[in-house]
Amino acid sequence: MAVDTLSGAFGGATRKSRSYNLGTPLVLAAALVLLYLWLSTQQLDSMEARVLSAASIRDATLAHLTLTAISTSIVVVIAIPIGVLLTRPFARWLTPWVMAVANVGQAAPALGVLVLLSILFGIGTKIAIVTLVFHATLPVLRNTIAGIQQVDSALLEAGRGMGMSRRQILRRLELPLAVPVVMAGLRTTIVICVGIATVATFINAGGLGDIVVAGIKLQRTSILVTGGVLTAVIALGLDWLAGLAEKYVRPQGI
Amino acid sequence: MSDIKLVNVTKQYDGQPLPAVDGVTLDIAAGELVVFVGPSGCGKTTTMKMINRLIEPTSGRILLGGTDVMSIEPNELRRHIGYVIQQIGLFPHMTISENIQLVPGLLGWDKTRSRRRADELLELVGLDPVAYRDRYPRQLSGGQQQRVGVARALAADPPVMLMDEPFGATDPITRERLQNEFLRLQAELRKTIVFVTHDFDEAVKLGDRIAVLEERSRIAQYDTPERILATPADDYVASFAGSATAIKRLALIPAERLPGKPLNVANGLPTLDKGGSARDVLDLMIRWGTAQVAVDGGKAVDFETICGLLGDDHGR
Repeated sequence: MAVDTLSGAFGGATRKSRSYNLGTPLVLAAALVLLYLWLSTQQLDSMEARVLSAASIRDATLAHLTLTAISTSIVVVIAIPIGVLLTRPFARWLTPWVMAVANVGQAAPALGVLVLLSILFGIGTKIAIVTLVFHATLPVLRNTIAGIQQVDSALLEAGRGMGMSRRQILRRLELPLAVPVVMAGLRTTIVICVGIATVATFINAGGLGDIVVAGIKLQRTSILVTGGVLTAVIALGLDWLAGLAEKYVRPQGI
Repeated sequence: MSDIKLVNVTKQYDGQPLPAVDGVTLDIAAGELVVFVGPSGCGKTTTMKMINRLIEPTSGRILLGGTDVMSIEPNELRRHIGYVIQQIGLFPHMTISENIQLVPGLLGWDKTRSRRRADELLELVGLDPVAYRDRYPRQLSGGQQQRVGVARALAADPPVMLMDEPFGATDPITRERLQNEFLRLQAELRKTIVFVTHDFDEAVKLGDRIAVLEERSRIAQYDTPERILATPADDYVASFAGSATAIKRLALIPAERLPGKPLNVANGLPTLDKGGSARDVLDLMIRWGTAQVAVDGGKAVDFETICGLLGDDHGR
């Protein structure tokens, strides 16, 4: 995973074009249209009709997006400063310890963590967000560290030799040059959040997991497929949007 | 003025049996280009980096225009010393102009002034500001990037420059061109320059004086290129200077300064172009099998003249 994320980032760094990849949104739109057409050919019973009503789908989708957005924001606020801190000489010794915790966070089964936390602290959206953050911190954290470490040491030496302070070197050299790698980590985090947010339904925190689980319980393929397709479309769609954002925040020249 | 004095400067790293730099004492006059030349790992770069405090000496004093560098805040010190490294180190996410404006920016110059300065310097190093100021480093060739590296070091007009093998990573043709441009620039600017290289021929070509360094940066000889070639202090310097040192010395004598006879226009001698050296005169003689060469400016130089050039101190 680490290698994938990094090589993706470096591959991106050498690409110069700012063209949008319009293939992804077209495929996603086509998937949604097909889903709609397929559903309209089905005879929906009353249970299916209730779960697949516009209001039900809208609420689940909004809840899902909210969970993802809040968790991702918290990850950004936590992981980037910690990542930056861990690359400073005085804190470097802490890096293996923090990475160990972050690795456990990602390796632990989400459902297990969710259940454990809800037994300890009760159910609801807050606990779901804690689980998501616990799970999705690693990519941003790891890529912030990697992104700063991959900055050519000759550049830092040049900066120091020209009289830039440590703070100026961080702000004007290390951080801008780490952006592509950090953004690659952020994309991974977003996709993980969208995926894991489906289990939030088990502690009554809503999301598209409601629809998927309803499909399983009621043994209705139509519901199950709808929940699955919507989750996948959101994951890929947000990843595409983040890729677009990456093109804009990446400094010119690199 | 900005002369540099190193007084008994030593750098001892923890856990190393011997110091990396061992008691170096050296005077560099203001406006002089001094080359530190020595094998890899001899401590020449360490010695240079102690001048702008990228490395702190263990003992000894370094005076810059009479002021101990240890009494100046390091970042402030470095902003007033130009610094060029072999890897150039242009910042890839900044335009050429932004790269050059960096130190003026750190010194608090206003935008208009530093922008004008960047254009001026691009002009100085032979790059058209209109074409190059808004480009990014990766859009430039290696030689162009190194020119920008020199321009960036000159940005705030520092009296002192430190250059660490600045032309080391370029191909021979580009290197020679950069060296020639750099000599022309230095003739105009008269900065006090410490230039580190392991290439003895580069040292001879560029240096007003050369410090030949041995292990632990001890000075084997500190003198003008002519005298190091003519009278190497010991076997170490002689081996470093290499073979054919007499020929190398001829290269240091401009052909214009050679004594000659008035030229008979009709004699059809091979003619040396402007800017050549006594070595080029000898080269033409050997190539054409003549004992006389016409030198630009209307004189004929004899083979005997060339043979007598190195005169008294031929170091036999």
